[in-house]
Parts: sequence; C-alpha cells; structure tokens
Amino acid sequence: MKALSLEFFKIRRKKIRVMLLLFLAAEMIWASVSIGISISRSAANASWEALVFTIASMNGLFLPILSAIVVSRICDMEHKGSTWKMLMTTPIGRRQVYAAKYACANALIVYGILAQTLFIVVFGLLKQMSAPLPPALLARFAIGTLLATFAVTALQQWLSLAVRNQAFALCLGMVGGFVGTTSGLFPSAVRHLLIWSYYLDLSPAAYKYGDSSGSYVSGSLPAGLIVAALLMAVAFYVAGNIHVSRQEV
Amino acid sequence: MIRSIRAEWLKIRRSRIVPVLAVLPVVSLLVGCINFYFNRTVLQNGWYSLWTQVSLFYGEFFLPVLIAICCAFVCRLEHNNRNWNMVLTSPLSVTSLFAAKLFIVGALILAAQTFFVLMYGASGRLFALPGGFPMEIVAWSLRGWFASLSIASLQLGLSIRIRSFAAPIGIGLCAVFLGLGMYVLKIGMLFPHSLLTIGMGVLSQKGLTPAENGAFLFMNGLFVLLFAVWSIRRMKNEDVVSS
Repeated sequence: MKALSLEFFKIRRKKIRVMLLLFLAAEMIWASVSIGISISRSAANASWEALVFTIASMNGLFLPILSAIVVSRICDMEHKGSTWKMLMTTPIGRRQVYAAKYACANALIVYGILAQTLFIVVFGLLKQMSAPLPPALLARFAIGTLLATFAVTALQQWLSLAVRNQAFALCLGMVGGFVGTTSGLFPSAVRHLLIWSYYLDLSPAAYKYGDSSGSYVSGSLPAGLIVAALLMAVAFYVAGNIHVSRQEV
Repeated sequence: MIRSIRAEWLKIRRSRIVPVLAVLPVVSLLVGCINFYFNRTVLQNGWYSLWTQVSLFYGEFFLPVLIAICCAFVCRLEHNNRNWNMVLTSPLSVTSLFAAKLFIVGALILAAQTFFVLMYGASGRLFALPGGFPMEIVAWSLRGWFASLSIASLQLGLSIRIRSFAAPIGIGLCAVFLGLGMYVLKIGMLFPHSLLTIGMGVLSQKGLTPAENGAFLFMNGLFVLLFAVWSIRRMKNEDVVSS
C-alpha cells in the first residue's frame, strides 16, 4: 500500500490524468459523431447496444495505445532518473515495486473506463435511447474492457521495465491498436490468441449480420474468453515480474 | 551543419530503430492485403483498391505516431544524463542542432515510406493486379513524406520541450484526431496532420489540382518553418530542464 501511494506521489505532477481525459475526450468526440450519423441514418441504431458496441470497437484502437503511454510514463521515470539503484536500497522489494506500478497504471485506466461508462450514460440519455438505462449491460462493458486492459498493461509493463528504450513499448502499443482495430477481420482461432482483440470480444454488445441487414444484440460475456484474458494477464504479469526482478540494475 | 547531421547519425546508428520503423508498415500492409484478398469481389479498382486497404490505417494513424516516436527517439539521449547541458554548451548553433534532428527524422521516415511502397508494389505483383504499378502512388508517398516533415517539425519541438518519451506521442495521437476532424470539415490545409491525409490520398484518391498542389507545398513549408522557428527561439531564450 505504501509502495502504491508512493507511485501516485511520483506521478502527481505528470498530468497523466489530464492526458488520459484529453485522449479519451478525442475518442468520445469521434464516437459521438459516428453514433450521431448512424442514428440519423436509421432510428433503429438509437440503442444502448449500438452505443456500447461502437465504444468497444473504438477501444480496440485507443486503449492499447493509451495503456502503452500510461505504463511507459510510470516506468520510464525510473529509467530516466536512474532511480532503480536507489529503490533497491529501500526496504521495498522489486516485486512490490512491480506490483505497485501495475496497480497504479490500472487504477489510472480504470478511471478512464469509468469516464467512458459515464459518457455512455449521459450520451444515451441525451439521445433518448429506445430502451431504459441498462445498468447490467454497462457493468458487463466495464468489466470486459477492464479484463482486456489488465492483460495489456501487464504486457506493456513487462516491456517498459525490461527495455530502457520506450520506443519499443510504444511501438507494441501501436501494433496492439492496429490489431485491436482490425481484429474483426481475423478468424476467431487467431483472434483469441491476440489480447488486443479482447476489447471487442469481451464486449457485451455485438453486431449480427442478417440476410439483408444487421442488428445490434446484447449478451453475457463469454466465460471461456474471460478465463483466457485472466490467464493472459497472470502469465504476462508473472513472466514480467520474474524477468524484471532478475535483471541487473 | 554536415557535422551536426553526422553527430545525430552517430547517436542513433546502433539504437535498433530499424525494427520500430519496419514493424508498422509490415503489419499495416499484411492486414490490408488480407482484407483485400478476402474482399476482391467488391474491391474492383485494382492497384487503387489495394492502396485504400493498405494505406488507410498506416497513413491516417500509424505514420503520424511513427513520426512522433522517431522525434522522441532522436531527443531521448539529450534528455538523459544532463546531456542537454553538454549539447547546448558545444560550439554548435541551436538552428543546426534542430535542422540536423529534422534531417535525421526526415531520412528515417523516407526510408519507412520507401519500404512501404516497395512492399505495396510487391504485394500488387503477388496478387497479379492488372496494369502496371501506378506512378501516382510514388507521388502520393512523396507528398506524404513532405507532409511528414511538418508533423516532424511540430513533434520535434514537443519532444525537445517535454522530457517524457511517451507524452509527446500521446499529444501527437490527439492531434491525429484533430487533423481528421479538420479534414472532414474541409479545412485540412490548415493543419499538418490533415495535410498528411490529403497528401497520401488516404481517404480520397481524387488527386490534387496544380493549384491545390501548390497550396499543399506552401502550407507544408510554412508549417515546417513556423514550428522550427518556435523551437529554435525557445531553445535560444529559455533554459533547458535536465537532471
């Protein structure tokens, strides 16, 4: 807990929250325009499912890059300030520092996901969606996005701490964003191996194609994919923790 | 000036930037080609249809971020170990320092663009697309590279000013969306990121009239100059933050 509060103390003037909100604001503006156009074309698109699906598909592009930036900023300050040696002389172990950084990064992203959920609620109420506010759907959306984020941040933290040069971590974030955006093109066997596609796969809303047209449907989160995302998060976290803890400072 | 460029080259030559430069064009091209292959019945415009598939995400999102990464990369060493103090006390003008960094970023992006176009040509041949390789693509890529210079000028200014590696890249990504909005509002000539969209023919393959081409080149030149003057003046008049 002390290590976690220290992580927040270290980033207090880095304006990461402001950057996070600005970044998400760009996504929300894009989403608003896109959904607004979609509703003007067909009133059937004025549904919570359509709103959640649009945001979830945009998250495939935005959140991998955003996670890469947030994690990189939290990890890079130790590389830049050459503070690893100093940290090692404190009674806090490397594993605790690793856990604190992971918790700090995820707490920041959770803050972003909650802001997104709030946006969905406000936008949906303003646009007078056809159905009443569905708290269960929104909770499933937040949980699904969080699960994918846990694994992505674990992978990003591993790379950001293991390699001093943050260009590689950000490049991975960009590749992740690309995979997240285009994941719908891959066959499911390939898609389920790529964590960035889980932003869409763990969305409670989907677009089902019919014979002549399609429709937005909602459902529960697939249990198998939840387990897969959790396993990936644990695997990336443990592997990263072991690798970074054994690295020479 | 030549010595400054040599010094910049020396700093990055063993930094393994090549995989970073190569990975995004490769991934963009692979996914674009896969999409093209599975939708060949709909995408009937040969080389141009393939270009829409491979360049959409690359030109719109990933090239600006790649430019931002390159700019942060060439400023990384200066932000470490109080190197700004060392650089700014050397017998070297800040103008030539900035110009050398811009030259290196320009060369890296030109290499990435060339690699992308070569791979595009190879995949077009692999798909046995009718007709020869369209020379407009080379012009679009060159225009895209020219627009990259104005983005690089802006990003270099940010990367010199901000010590964090990731923060200027985040700002650059936000600028991508602002650029997209300005392009949609048809005021794309007024923002560097929209100029890239226009130059590379990412969203519209209509081509530019000679007057539009002139305006495009003028605006890019203006942006390069404007951001360069902003950064150079700042480096001359304000103290560096180093630790």
